[in-house]
Amino acid sequence: MFAASGINGALGRAMLLVGIIGSLFGAIAAISSARQRDQAVAKLIPRFAILVFAAGFGAFAVMERAMITRDFSLAYVQKVGSVSTPAVFNFAAVWSALEGSILMWVLILAGYTLAVTFWLRKKMDDVLSRYALGVMFIVSMFFFVLSFGPANPFAAGPAGVFDGPGPNPLLQNHLLVMFHPPMLYLGYVGMTVPFAFAIAALITGRVGEGWLLATRRWTLFAWGFLTIGIVLGSWWSYEVLGWSGVWAWDPVENASLLPWITATAYIHSVLVQERRGMLRVWNLSLLVSTFSLTILGTFLTRSGVLNSVHAFSQSAIGPWLLTFFAVIVIVSVGLIGWRGDRLHSPGSIDSPLSREGAFLANNVLFAIFAFVVLLGTVFPLIVEALQSRTIVVGEPFFNRLTIPIGITMLTIMAIAPVLPWRKASQELLSKRLFWPAWCGVIALAGSVWVGATGLAPLLTFALGGFASGSALRQVVLATRRQGLRGLVGRANGGMIVHLGVIIIAVALAASNSFTHSQELNLEVGKVATFSGHTFELVDVTEEKTDRATAVKALVKVDGGKAYAPAITKFTKQGMNVGTPSVKTGLANDIYLTLEPPVRQDENKARIKVFIKPLLLWLWIGGGLMALGTLLAAFPGRRRKPTSPTSDDDFAADLLVTL
Amino acid sequence: MNSKSVNNKWSWMLVVLSAVALLVFGSTRSSGPQTQADRIDAITKVLACPTCQGESVYVSRASAAESIRAEVARQIASGQRSDDEIIAYIEARFGSRVLLVPRSTGLDSLIWVLPVFALVCAVGTLGFAFRRWKVVGSDSISEEDAQLVERALREER
Repeated sequence: MFAASGINGALGRAMLLVGIIGSLFGAIAAISSARQRDQAVAKLIPRFAILVFAAGFGAFAVMERAMITRDFSLAYVQKVGSVSTPAVFNFAAVWSALEGSILMWVLILAGYTLAVTFWLRKKMDDVLSRYALGVMFIVSMFFFVLSFGPANPFAAGPAGVFDGPGPNPLLQNHLLVMFHPPMLYLGYVGMTVPFAFAIAALITGRVGEGWLLATRRWTLFAWGFLTIGIVLGSWWSYEVLGWSGVWAWDPVENASLLPWITATAYIHSVLVQERRGMLRVWNLSLLVSTFSLTILGTFLTRSGVLNSVHAFSQSAIGPWLLTFFAVIVIVSVGLIGWRGDRLHSPGSIDSPLSREGAFLANNVLFAIFAFVVLLGTVFPLIVEALQSRTIVVGEPFFNRLTIPIGITMLTIMAIAPVLPWRKASQELLSKRLFWPAWCGVIALAGSVWVGATGLAPLLTFALGGFASGSALRQVVLATRRQGLRGLVGRANGGMIVHLGVIIIAVALAASNSFTHSQELNLEVGKVATFSGHTFELVDVTEEKTDRATAVKALVKVDGGKAYAPAITKFTKQGMNVGTPSVKTGLANDIYLTLEPPVRQDENKARIKVFIKPLLLWLWIGGGLMALGTLLAAFPGRRRKPTSPTSDDDFAADLLVTL
Repeated sequence: MNSKSVNNKWSWMLVVLSAVALLVFGSTRSSGPQTQADRIDAITKVLACPTCQGESVYVSRASAAESIRAEVARQIASGQRSDDEIIAYIEARFGSRVLLVPRSTGLDSLIWVLPVFALVCAVGTLGFAFRRWKVVGSDSISEEDAQLVERALREER
């Protein structure tokens, strides 16, 4: 037993040490070869990238091995491992607490470093590539050190422990824990790549458009995963937490949303730079903000500064992350200041009523949106620091401020896609917006017809119709011209993403504004009615395993299939976890939860019913966003490549020739 | 359809008028009587669960939240207090940390003021930039970019 445990602990630590050394040498090789233009040293970079990835992968594999073989000599396995956890949740238990999450970060970052190295293998002569890889190695080294030191997952635990509590019960009753965190991390960590290129561009002074075009797809890739991760997180919240909501403005959720907002702003404003060469400082700042917000978010949520429902992972890594955040900000701001003269944007924007004008307005909104989310997240800290008083900033605050922002965004989404670059005439606008506007009116009439009330939801439905009209117009015109090829490419894929966003906005407005709920005291044999649906209790069952005791109420909805909301008492943690059961439909979800106290022997159950309109469309919209991102990543054909810098292949060549 | 009819001012008037009419009608009509459950939901959404971290009473399944929910339900069933009075009553019993909406006085008011301030600054900067661009007008192209384009065009040929 002891010998075996020694192996996992020692092997894991050794892997991390190799990772630190590999990243250090990789960074030295990359940066010194970039400074001295030394081709021989540059040839070593790929080897270090492979070494770093092997170390990261090895460390993660060792942790999985320790978890699967239930090696209770490790403190981490004692904390989140248990003999009775089912295999799938045991596999996911590795990332169910802080140390393991950092280890996953290490693995994914090492993977990105290797992928970027491979992608740059033929462009290694370029100094910019070397600097970018240097930055990747430095960030990798930081996370390896973090995992080796303050967030060590391989620390030995007290002897004589043969079983543990297992992961937090909330993390072991839905399969989504397998997918939500890895997706989110692929997005989060992926933002390192554009950041590395931004820093490299600043160092080399080649702040033109070449580097930016080259990294655009990496940003889109990371953004797509971040989107999927956030949507899966909402789905998990809906399926597991039992309050029928998808988003609670919890600090951890906000931390994942913040880089998403700035990255979304970047994806839009980068088009202005590609087309017009403007907004250089702004785009660099957005990339730097996105990356530093991932670090700040991790600091806020994982250091215990802010408490949240995700508080099961806290430790002393706070000062490390805060220092790293400060270094990133200082270095980036310093570099931007140093290169100020080259960053001066040529050209000007002729009219606010143009494609670039709309992108600017969009960016202002996204910046305000990010500011509101950040302010709401850290405000309790400020009040506590200044007046040592506890306040809570929750959903009502965020809703009040973000709903107007969202509605304004929908307005821009309705108009911007039809705007030409440079300048739009009134006749052109009136012609192009005519049918989309009617789509809006029809959507509004339809929602009034089905009984929707309230200004904010109605505006959302109307503008949603308008904006989807504009998006569809673009897609229809493109497919009419180019057939199926009209579905790929940035502009067209982007419109599919817009459609997904609109569907999500409509679904959020409908499900937030028109949810009805009622508690029903059900008895076997009696039928209760709520909101036009019937509910009949069939049976109350109890299932006991050595891990948990689950009480399930079988409820027939509308005389059809029986749904089984449950309350599971996890024996080891002494924690009750409610598991909702949902009858999904295109128009309504019927969401059932079993309410405590549970009296299993009396053939009675207290059930809470939520009727949630259009909720299913959230996931459909999320899927459409993912699909659109994929389509946008394929190179589309431009009708007239008026500006040579907007061509993809040219960008790649540029990177080599420069 | 021909472009003349599309460009018609009258059809745009019709769009705007019908949208406004529908919005006014839809947002002012009553959505049916508010049930007790709706009132409980509305109140518990702005109350923070005192033992949890940042969750509302509506969201939380903790026992403290359960008891506040039960208290709110009891108050509503007795029918003597308005929603605001119930919230004030709960605040008096549990302290201000059960309020989920920041106050609009003192330091707390900053959370409302700062976003508005940021918006004004951002819109102001944007307006200023557009005005400046209008004055500058013509494009001034940097040397580097000019060379870039030149080289690109050469390679294209």
